[in-house]
Amino acid sequence: MPSTETILNVGLTHYLALSAVIFSFGMIAVLMRKNVIVMLMGVELMLNAVNLSFIAFAKESGNLSGHIMVFFVMTIAAAEAGVGLALAVAIYKKFHEVNIRFFEHLRG
Amino acid sequence: MLWDAIGFYGMALFLIFFALKTITVPNPIHAALYLVLTMIGLAGMFFNLGAHFIAGVQMIVYAGAVMVLFVMVLMLFDLKAEIRSFSRGLLSGALKIMSSALLVGFALGSAGSSVAILDSSDTAPTQIDVTRQLGVLLYTKYLFAFEVLGILLLVVAVGVVAVSRMKGGTHAQH
Amino acid sequence: MNHAILILTLLIAPLLGFAFNGLRFRSHNAYLAGSVATAASFISFLCSLALFFQLKDLPPEARHLTSRFFDWIVVGDLRVPFGFTVDQISAIMILIITGVGSLIHLFSIGYMSHDERPSKYFAYLNLFLFNMLVLVLGDNLLITFVGWEGVGLCSYLLIGFWFSDPAKAAAGMKAFVTNRIGDAGFLIGMFILFFTYGTLTYSDLLQLIPQVVESTWTGPLTLAFLFLFIGATGKSAQIPLYVWLPDAMAGPTPVSALIHAATMVTAGVYLFVRLSPALIFAPHAMEVIAWTGAATALVAATIGITQWDIKKILAYSTVSQLGYMFLAVGVGAFGAAQFHLMTHAFFKALMFLGSGSVIHAMHEEQDVRKMGGLRKYLPITHFTFVLGWLAIIGIPPFAGFFSKDEILWQAFSSPHGSKALWFVGALTAACTAFYMTRLMALTFWGKSRFGKDVHPHESPPSMTIPLMVLGLLSVIGGWVGIPHVLGAVLPGHPSNLFEGWLKPVIGHVAHHEPNVIMEWALMGVSVSLAGLGAWFAYHNYLVQPNLPKAVAAKLGPVYRAVANKYYVDEFYDRFLINPLIATSKAIWLYIDVNVIDKVTYFAGDLVSGLASFAKTVQNGKTQSYALYMALGVAIIMTFVMWRG
Repeated sequence: MPSTETILNVGLTHYLALSAVIFSFGMIAVLMRKNVIVMLMGVELMLNAVNLSFIAFAKESGNLSGHIMVFFVMTIAAAEAGVGLALAVAIYKKFHEVNIRFFEHLRG
Repeated sequence: MLWDAIGFYGMALFLIFFALKTITVPNPIHAALYLVLTMIGLAGMFFNLGAHFIAGVQMIVYAGAVMVLFVMVLMLFDLKAEIRSFSRGLLSGALKIMSSALLVGFALGSAGSSVAILDSSDTAPTQIDVTRQLGVLLYTKYLFAFEVLGILLLVVAVGVVAVSRMKGGTHAQH
Repeated sequence: MNHAILILTLLIAPLLGFAFNGLRFRSHNAYLAGSVATAASFISFLCSLALFFQLKDLPPEARHLTSRFFDWIVVGDLRVPFGFTVDQISAIMILIITGVGSLIHLFSIGYMSHDERPSKYFAYLNLFLFNMLVLVLGDNLLITFVGWEGVGLCSYLLIGFWFSDPAKAAAGMKAFVTNRIGDAGFLIGMFILFFTYGTLTYSDLLQLIPQVVESTWTGPLTLAFLFLFIGATGKSAQIPLYVWLPDAMAGPTPVSALIHAATMVTAGVYLFVRLSPALIFAPHAMEVIAWTGAATALVAATIGITQWDIKKILAYSTVSQLGYMFLAVGVGAFGAAQFHLMTHAFFKALMFLGSGSVIHAMHEEQDVRKMGGLRKYLPITHFTFVLGWLAIIGIPPFAGFFSKDEILWQAFSSPHGSKALWFVGALTAACTAFYMTRLMALTFWGKSRFGKDVHPHESPPSMTIPLMVLGLLSVIGGWVGIPHVLGAVLPGHPSNLFEGWLKPVIGHVAHHEPNVIMEWALMGVSVSLAGLGAWFAYHNYLVQPNLPKAVAAKLGPVYRAVANKYYVDEFYDRFLINPLIATSKAIWLYIDVNVIDKVTYFAGDLVSGLASFAKTVQNGKTQSYALYMALGVAIIMTFVMWRG
């Protein structure tokens, strides 16, 4: 059991723990939700969790490269969200539903 | 220090609650709204960590632009709350939760064991400096990556239009 | 031009033609397909001519142009270069193949114009040409064998060209299987030669073979030649494997002309002429070849007398003439064999094309009993056919006379020959005259016997031009090989150009002093026998049309035996094919089903069982795949943590 001081003295570990929890939520959404758009939200959650750990590391090491990474990750996340949503639109046009099972044609 | 801790824990609890709600509510619109709250919470975290500029960008790009896009698409589809919002399969569901938990456990474990090495400095520059240095870094050391990202965004913009305009694609029925 | 380039062009032109027509095999454009194929063949002919003239400019002993492109097979002692040689023998062969081949290609354009699959036909024809050229140009036995198999394949494809008719498809199969038996012999012969002399290249082989006459039956040379002769009996339709050739007439008629008269079936003769410098040291093999050839000639000729199908008559005639060639090979008259091969290519191709023209005009009617009197409907075909007829029965100065007379004289006078062989040959000549005259009488002369609704018409120029060219060749083609006794009395004393041309590359047997009077006498006998046969047939079938029936009735059992081709097919069926089928069936039902199938099924079930277990992983669900990724990461992280 961690000491009271460890609990009260908020540092890198706390941020990383929070980041890991949010990441796992995002991962569970990607793995288990049926709605493609909610799966995309899960991806966003995972990316944000990683961003949080980047910023925490940057703060602790005093190196601003972490901020730059976050900046790039955000850009790519936006692009990815755009593509994912476009695909969702394409599926919706066809089936009027955005269930992941419409992507289940990967079996040979 | 106590107030710091109270602030962090309060914010963290909210974040975890919103994130959990995001992935569990059956209605996608509600999920999106909870996600917006999560994003805002994260922006607060960034602010707390001294990354003011990033926090602003988080608010504008994520909580603003990206989430508006999500909500717009959801509105467009006119989706109702789903009766079965999770994938089927008890075994695979258990496996999924297990592997996620395993990963979180490892992440927590490794973070805990590395605190001693990293949890030291408090030499962060003042906030104006951070943003200025960020700008300098972006346009000097990371200039190439920055430009490439610009091109990527252009390609993605064109691709998104193409994908959403196509009729059926590989699922074409006629 | 460099001879390597010429040889390459010669070979590649038909191959390109094959590729062109083969790739657009669904096309129905007979004119385009035919023009391309004919052009390819004609380009080859031009190359052959160029090579011939290059060869002619060289001194007689140095007349060979060899190009070795690369080493094809190098294994231990076996070294097979991918090489081609043009010498006196192959020069004649390629001229015949591409020259007659071009004419037949041209003829085919008209003949196949109404067919459903002309592109396929011309593709096969070009492929045949390529393989035949490989066969005669190969500078070692293995390359020759490649061509040998290739022409067999094309022959099969073209005999069964109208494969929707089961009988025709079966004929193709019969040709293929019969040839396989011969090819096994060819292979064994090749093995023996390689085993004994360590090489398969013709020039090395002819140098390495000891210049000693082999007097035993089991010497390597004799054995090798006997096995090679088995191969030749398959390809060149000799007893006992000749049965496929008459059936091969199921193919389109130009194919019969090209493959089953002029070129492919002479491959065996070519092979023995090519190896003749060694063959003369294996007298026993020569004896077998001579008697087989003579017997084939006579048997086929007698069967030809009783046939009613115009193409079957010509087919038996071809078998008979091939028998003559082997008779010549067997008595050591290799020049005469090659000479007869050439003249036969001319007049037999002419007659096959002529029969094609007749069949075309009669709307696919092949029974001579339903023809007659076609002379006035098909004047050009008739005229050229007469030229071929005179050539084959050996009337001077037509081509067949010189070559056939040469063979008969050599059969009589050569140390390997005998009076008996000559007698069989002369008898065959009489039979030949009889059945060819019968064919002429039934088809072209006399009264017409076809129905009122048939209106025969002369063929288009693309079909008659080849006939005229071949007709001309059937007349003058023999003038290059005028025998000495005849040349001595003719103005200008023409010498035997053909014999002189081949002299450096063929084997020679020691000759007695030629007996001029005897040669004249035999020449007279053979011509008068031919005349007698022709007159007899003319008398029987035109003057007294009822006589043949009376004769047939009188000779009841004999006639039936001959008309049923001596029951050879039935004999093979009864004693070879049916027992083989019964044995195979037994093996299938007991060994295959009970042992082999069970083993293979078990192996298959084992694999598919294992696979169906592994298959569940690949369920096609995106989220499952994401799970595998997450699990993989978790496992890797566990490992890393474990190791510390």
